[in-house]
Amino acid sequence: MAGSSLRSFIKDVRGAKTVAEERAIVTKASAKIRTKLRDDHLPLEKRRNNIQKLLYLYILGEKTHFGQVECINLIASDDFADKRLGYLAAMLLLDESQDLLTLLTNLLNNDLNHPNRFVVSLALTTLGFLSSSELARDLYPDVESILNTSKDPFLVKKALQCVAKLVMTDSSLLEIFQPQLLLSLLNNQSICTHGVLLSIAKVLQAALSGFSMHHKRVKENEPTADTTGILRQLLGAVPELLDLLQNLNVKNFEPEYDIQGTCDPFLQCELLYTLRLFFQVCFEFKITEIDQYSNKFNDLLTQIATNTDSGKNCGQAILYEATRTIFSLNLNQPSRVLGINILAQFLSGKDNNTKYVALSTLLKVVPQEPVAVQRHRKFISRCLRDPDVSIRSRALELAFAILNDVTMVELTEQLVEFLKNASDDDKNLIVYTVEYLVRAFEIHTSVDEKWKLETLITVLKLVGNVISAETVSNLLVFINNASCPQERCELVAEMLKLTLDDSKRSEISEHNVGWNLVTIWCVGEYGGEILGNKADAKISERSLTKYLVDQHAASDRNDNKIVHYLLTAALKLSAHVNDPGCNESLRQILVSRSRDADLMLQSKSVQYEIIFRQPLKVKKPILDSMPKFEKKIDAATQKPSKIASQSSASQPESSDLLDLLGEKQPSHSPQPQPSVAQSSTSVLSPTDLLADIFGSNGTNGKPSSDKDLSERNSSTLEVPAGSTKIHESAAAECYITLKSCGDGAAQMELYLKAKTNLQNVQTFCAVPKTQKLTLGQIQPGNTLVSHQVARQNLKVVGSGRLKLRVKLNFAADGNDSSEQFDHKFDQAL
Amino acid sequence: MAIQFILCFNKQGVVRLVRYFERYQMDSQKTQDMIVQIYRLISSRDHRHQSNFVELSESTKLVYKRYAGLYFVMGIDLQDEESIYLSQIHLFVEVLDAFYGNVCELDIVFHFYRAYMVMDEMFLGGEIQEISKDLLLERFSILDRLD
Repeated sequence: MAGSSLRSFIKDVRGAKTVAEERAIVTKASAKIRTKLRDDHLPLEKRRNNIQKLLYLYILGEKTHFGQVECINLIASDDFADKRLGYLAAMLLLDESQDLLTLLTNLLNNDLNHPNRFVVSLALTTLGFLSSSELARDLYPDVESILNTSKDPFLVKKALQCVAKLVMTDSSLLEIFQPQLLLSLLNNQSICTHGVLLSIAKVLQAALSGFSMHHKRVKENEPTADTTGILRQLLGAVPELLDLLQNLNVKNFEPEYDIQGTCDPFLQCELLYTLRLFFQVCFEFKITEIDQYSNKFNDLLTQIATNTDSGKNCGQAILYEATRTIFSLNLNQPSRVLGINILAQFLSGKDNNTKYVALSTLLKVVPQEPVAVQRHRKFISRCLRDPDVSIRSRALELAFAILNDVTMVELTEQLVEFLKNASDDDKNLIVYTVEYLVRAFEIHTSVDEKWKLETLITVLKLVGNVISAETVSNLLVFINNASCPQERCELVAEMLKLTLDDSKRSEISEHNVGWNLVTIWCVGEYGGEILGNKADAKISERSLTKYLVDQHAASDRNDNKIVHYLLTAALKLSAHVNDPGCNESLRQILVSRSRDADLMLQSKSVQYEIIFRQPLKVKKPILDSMPKFEKKIDAATQKPSKIASQSSASQPESSDLLDLLGEKQPSHSPQPQPSVAQSSTSVLSPTDLLADIFGSNGTNGKPSSDKDLSERNSSTLEVPAGSTKIHESAAAECYITLKSCGDGAAQMELYLKAKTNLQNVQTFCAVPKTQKLTLGQIQPGNTLVSHQVARQNLKVVGSGRLKLRVKLNFAADGNDSSEQFDHKFDQAL
Repeated sequence: MAIQFILCFNKQGVVRLVRYFERYQMDSQKTQDMIVQIYRLISSRDHRHQSNFVELSESTKLVYKRYAGLYFVMGIDLQDEESIYLSQIHLFVEVLDAFYGNVCELDIVFHFYRAYMVMDEMFLGGEIQEISKDLLLERFSILDRLD
């Protein structure tokens, strides 16, 4: 096939000493081929030569589109060598160019009926490769006729693979698909090589997985039609497949199909998958005939699980497929436990591939059999120390998946150990671990709280420099919500001792931002209590003040987060400090930002200074410690998600909306409303300022204009005329008014009319991903008496049709309930 | 359940064989970028301590193995199982070895079309279609004589 000219060309390219030289040769050759191919009088031999060179250029990644027409010319030739090269070139070079594909369809049509079986074989290979839906319709009958007439296993095998591909691309082919053809092939021993069996399995898979689409389409046109006939016919293959699989599995040695001591693992896997599909589809369409095989299949799975050699790669592939089958058919518990034990056995080995596959599979099946997985947690924790990062990340996910009240202490120790040894490359994993650890601590309340707090402090010490601000917030909430203030105080004192003591200082890096944020916050929040306890000589008014002053001096100009924390801490601490010198230092911190370029900081600084000047008896209640922060734990977030989150673009938009609702930070989270708020709203709104620090996305749901404040006190709201009713239930009616819409922004008002007494009203709203939503607070508040109306402002910016999904949470007569509804506006942004 | 592409490149990242089975979603610049990305990803991995599987994108993971100076890579769907494809790679390399007779990189470079022939007899539209080495070698010897 290769002429000397191709050989010398490849030699030239390889011989190039520099990249530039190689480029020059390649560009020159490419231009030359281009000119040559344009010449209609070029002898065939030369054309072939040029296409061969072009293919080499293709492999090197060069542009080769100009050779496409020549592929068609070569395929049209009568010479086998031309055809072969033409088909190879077509598979490599052809792109979506429609004209050429039409030409190719005609050529394929001819060649599928060619007397030379090697030509037919080439055409089939190309068809299986190209299989677009137009080709599928046009050429399916030709392929089927090959199946009917040919006795050559090679052709039958390829034709079957093509049928599978074509049915995959276009499930409407099932209308003309003939199951009996397949069955007769299956029973024809003379033609059934493993290759043919493999492709029969493929066709069955294609037919089974395309069936529900086919069914739906037929039902749309003819609601009374019975489509299941085809399934019932295909069922005839099941006993044969079961026998085949059983024979393969017990066979010890068959040289021709032996792969690492396992008999044809490829066929075994495909058969398992096919049978699994059979059971799934038949179950879905209530074809009870399949039930007679389920015992046999069950036994067979057990046999496979016990007999297959798990030491080798392909044995593992079979075991994996068997386990996957056990779990996707949700077979009985002993089988499931058997499956898990097989996988756990993989984990105990040394081979990384095995561990990787086992962990991935365990992750998928852990919801069905959590207890059995838990039993193998030793192996899982061992994988946390694996040198391969993908194994570590999977082990982490799995560790969180089996974490519960019982396993918490043991697993957390392993996780902390993991954090201790984690390197800088593991940043994502560390962030993930801390985030889910905090979350797990919140969910599993029965475990000793002191231990949890201690663990969190240890974690902070280890990896405080990498965790996100949001996680720091969550951690603070956890400390804030601790049920025993005494323990909390002791712990914070420990933290402070570590921070303030110069001799121990080296334990904590000064770049440990997380640690610093938490310490600063704690100084402000618990400074008073700790000073009152006089726990340690090192902790005094002076030392705490000095700490804040030092931190302020050291704070990075670009990191305002820490300054926000510092201002609040300074203000809060000032209420508990008597020393005038200290008080002045704290005031200096506050006023230092009164001219800051950052507007948020500036206003905070000015407002805090006003509070600072208030007499102690006004100041004390405002600066009292935070109340318990009620954090909504969303059911959807309880389960750890995948580390590398996989968004699928094909999902319908409605699930995008759902995603938004399921997010960790709802657009509107209930703000704590301490009792002090009412008494002081006339002066200022300290609640908002202090609560600021909790909300990590500070822009959401925090109106602070005077207008809002005054309206908060007025309690009689009415639903304005012209509002659209978008929801009604036994508890409430919901209306919406579009105030303005245009220029990429819309203002809306949501009205909620209570039908009974409602408490803890919360609204969660979501908009499509192309838009961004800002929610105002519910006014007048989150408790409504019967017939009272509440209002909430919504602002949407972005583009696209206006759509809204609203979820209402409330307690009516002491029962928590929630309602969700969607509303589509006629307007678009 | 199908192979998205088969790729073979050497330690320097020079491609020796490439075949996309889902070519309709590919344009040439993107595929070149993808190959560079795959090369960087795989060549940076520690072959003694890391698995032969790695996720490439939200739709594709890679199963690969290095044989002397050549990497053989398959791109597969995320939900597919890796081990069986690793076995397929191994089988493919074994068949190449038997066909060329102790195959080396240069054999594939100068006779790439023969390697494609092997590929096309073993895989069709991204599915494995034949695994018997004897049958394959017999078939190749016939095909070789046809020119």
